[in-house]
Amino acid sequence: MDMLDTSIGLQQNAKGQRPQYFDDPSVEKVLAITMALAGEFSVMRDRLDSLERLLEAGVTVTREALDGYVPDERARSDRDAWRSTFLDVLLRVVQQDRAAMKQRIYGDG
Amino acid sequence: MNHAANPASQFQHGLLPVTTADEQSRLEFVKSLKFHLAAKVSPGNRAAFEVDAGPAFARANGQPPQDYKEVAKAMGRHPYFLFWSALQRNSQEMMWKAAQLPVQRQLNRLIERARTTPGEAGSLRLNPDLETPRYQTLVDIHCMPGGYHTDFAADDVANGAVYDRAVYVYAMGRMGPLNSDIGDSTIAYLKQHYPDLGPRRILDLGCSVGHSTLPYVDAYPGAQVFAIDVAAPMLRYAHARAESLGKAVHFSQQNAEHTDFEAGSFDLIVSHILVHETSHGAIRNIMKEAHRLLRPGGIVIHAETPPYRALGAFDGFMLDWDTRNNNEPYWTASHELDPVALAEEAGFGGACAFEGNQPSAFDSDEAKRTKLFQAGDFGGAGLWYLWGAQKKAAH
Repeated sequence: MDMLDTSIGLQQNAKGQRPQYFDDPSVEKVLAITMALAGEFSVMRDRLDSLERLLEAGVTVTREALDGYVPDERARSDRDAWRSTFLDVLLRVVQQDRAAMKQRIYGDG
Repeated sequence: MNHAANPASQFQHGLLPVTTADEQSRLEFVKSLKFHLAAKVSPGNRAAFEVDAGPAFARANGQPPQDYKEVAKAMGRHPYFLFWSALQRNSQEMMWKAAQLPVQRQLNRLIERARTTPGEAGSLRLNPDLETPRYQTLVDIHCMPGGYHTDFAADDVANGAVYDRAVYVYAMGRMGPLNSDIGDSTIAYLKQHYPDLGPRRILDLGCSVGHSTLPYVDAYPGAQVFAIDVAAPMLRYAHARAESLGKAVHFSQQNAEHTDFEAGSFDLIVSHILVHETSHGAIRNIMKEAHRLLRPGGIVIHAETPPYRALGAFDGFMLDWDTRNNNEPYWTASHELDPVALAEEAGFGGACAFEGNQPSAFDSDEAKRTKLFQAGDFGGAGLWYLWGAQKKAAH
């Protein structure tokens, strides 16, 4: 695997004013950091999943094997399902708002 | 070349950056997040509107919101809408970062590969003196750092590679392994409505990396396909990508408002999600230029998401999110364009204008469609809006 080549710097942020969604700008940053962490957690979970699958297949696990691991269709669909559950758990509090509003529309039934 | 691609993953053509397992996982997370937001969080906005914002507006104004602008007044600062918006904006920023990392890692090699691509099938003609129009440089459109046009190195292809990957993630794979759905769907419309067109020369405007361009090569065998864009990094990448896929396209760096092609030299002029990234003046110039370039009986057709007049007030409001939240300054106005007026002004005559909807050509898993035109879910509705004009046949 190549090391990160930084000889050419790509632009990191988009030109244009970033909208502010919350009264306190710090909240924007905390949310961005939280979501980035969630993403990196998912990356780690996939790596653990690769490790388990390689071990199950009796493959000698090396970093190269992990970096080059390509999930088959079954593994991809398992991971999709895991991420879907993970996002339900992560964004539970947002779902809760939605459920409460729906209840006000449709009642308890 | 064999294109029997796995419909569930992006086709690994010769220029697409190779991803490590971690890089792929990072992209997959963004895809899952975007789908989660579209399927499970975004629909709560309608509930917020029905329960809170709509009734409050009606109490204050004596009637419910009548159009998308009034829905915006009602909903714009609703806490649920703001939190969803913040998540949506983050998903967009995370997408660009996840797409940039593998490009950054192998950029020198990608540049070299594009530079040494022989023009065996098609060609590439750049114009370093071409001025990038202000509507492309004002902000970085859809929050892609550097926009379409920025070169970060000599002979750069970075943002072509970033864009190619990000479009697949943004569409959550629902535009096909080669991101070709908008081209495929436009072709399906043309074959149905203009079966005798038989174009010999086709021009694609604002082609970027050629996602929608390449399908025309197969759809109209024997036709010469030309494609233009203002952005050099897109065109270098597009050319190398097309060659690696064995498709003959002649790319050149030009502004669609004023090209150097001869009058009457095209039978078919197409654009795909170009219009909303231009300007009020530019789309008028583009239609005039299309009228000049078409032979009598030729057709210009643009593919977009539907105009707000075709949507309910609430759906129009949701589709309008990108204007302010995703750096798409012309999005709102472009969704209020009138094809008849534009065709009239450009010399086609209003009666020669047409519009219609075309179901998506890519046979996506139905469960992955939200059937909604909503922000951050471009391909979710499974439908494209097409409009254009046919130049009057000579008498």
